[in-house]
Amino acid sequence: MRKLFTAAAALALLWRAAPGVAAELRVLVKDHHGRLVADAVVLATPLEPKNALHAKPPADAVDQVDKQFVPYVKAVFAGSKVWFPNSDHVRHQVYSFSPAKRFELPLYGGTEAPPVVFDKPGVVVLGCNIHDWMVGYVYVSETPFFAKTEGSGTATIDNLPPGEYTVRIWHPDMEGSEQTTSRRVTLNIDAPTSAVWQVGLKPALRVPRVSGAGSAGY
Amino acid sequence: MQCGRVPATTLGAFAAVIALGAMPYTAHGDWVPGADLSLRHDNNVGNAQAPPDIVADTILGARLSIYQLFPLDDSYSVTVGGDLRGESFHTLTGLDNVSVAGIMALKKKWGLGAFAPWARSGVSVARSSYDDSYRNAWVYRVTLAAGRRIDERWNLWAEYAYERRAAGAQARIDPELSGDAFSQDSHNLGANLEYSLNESTFLALALSARHGDVVSTTHPNLQIYSASLALAEDPAFGPEAYAYRLTGTTYGFRAGMNYSPTPHSLFGCGFARWETHAEYGNDYTKSMPEITWDYRF
Repeated sequence: MRKLFTAAAALALLWRAAPGVAAELRVLVKDHHGRLVADAVVLATPLEPKNALHAKPPADAVDQVDKQFVPYVKAVFAGSKVWFPNSDHVRHQVYSFSPAKRFELPLYGGTEAPPVVFDKPGVVVLGCNIHDWMVGYVYVSETPFFAKTEGSGTATIDNLPPGEYTVRIWHPDMEGSEQTTSRRVTLNIDAPTSAVWQVGLKPALRVPRVSGAGSAGY
Repeated sequence: MQCGRVPATTLGAFAAVIALGAMPYTAHGDWVPGADLSLRHDNNVGNAQAPPDIVADTILGARLSIYQLFPLDDSYSVTVGGDLRGESFHTLTGLDNVSVAGIMALKKKWGLGAFAPWARSGVSVARSSYDDSYRNAWVYRVTLAAGRRIDERWNLWAEYAYERRAAGAQARIDPELSGDAFSQDSHNLGANLEYSLNESTFLALALSARHGDVVSTTHPNLQIYSASLALAEDPAFGPEAYAYRLTGTTYGFRAGMNYSPTPHSLFGCGFARWETHAEYGNDYTKSMPEITWDYRF
């Protein structure tokens, strides 16, 4: 059974990599005011489970630069191993209380911290115990087909097996749940499929980096 | 520009060399340098009671600070650092001053993250040097603070500080009163609240109460003389001005709005109002509108 699964996965990979037999989904995300939305995660879940076959999730990284998580939003496939390198000259203590992954990396600099495996789908909010204003998100996807919007509000998911998909959007400041954005989309191999989503965003609020509490942040 | 044994310019230059010289080391450790500027108008610089004695002035302030953080474990951290401050008065130039301070604080957090309650105790020692050197002083301060960020919108903390300002005693000009008019002891309480309007703007409100010595500079009069603990000439305010040390209680508030144009900087504007009640009705008030700019690296 295990051999059969491995063969099926290899075939699926070969098929996905083959030119001319894969579909492409291009998504533009705007808010209710028509503004382009960056850092939105676009998720495409195939209705045919066999289309979700995927090889071992790749390793990924969330850096810390100028006392910020970079990128602010990282989308990974469930089971992915994520490294948290620290490019700052100060040490960080990265943690999360999120049900999808609770962890803490004791104070470290450089690349000393071990990777964290994100094996449960959901949203993981990152923080630093030393620098209270640092916040970041790891979106752990149960589908291997996802992408994140750039500043242009666009995201492209390519190498998709053609077929029926449920597509939905998630953003850290989104009003309501991502399920409310769910839409069925049919993808063909003859041409990329384009779609536009409008999502409601709450005003962003973050812990200020410079506050009247002065050195209380330290 | 003479200020006691050490000229203010020399003291300022010395401190600037220390502060700037330490900057390159920020690349090698958890150093946190910062800078801020302020411009405020004080409608009663000398804490005078009656209109003829009340002197207003506009003050430009600047501060360079550098701190190093030593996290001890998940809960405790120690901060050690120092800062160099200066104030320049538009009219009362004798009050121009620089000060160099060393600060050490121990902080405890109950839990991880931005929303964990915290408490901090700290001590600081500063040397203040004025253009009119008779105000030069050592300032010792012990602080206890505790607070909690409730969520991204609300931040609360309270602080108690004991402060001892030790200035040199001046020539006795009254047989009944000490000449040590510029030394002060005080107990200070503060409650602070911040409310974020959006990602880059927050409102701040601070309520404060202070009990202890205050220095009030006026022309001689019996009412203030009766309440005084010490008396000295105060030529920064003019040849006929005298500084009286009284015991008083001050209540006040500061309300302000702050805006971060970049993640590292903060522009603020605020208004502070203090009301002091001293013995024998020697009460006075002061109001201080202010604009500020803070930068944290």
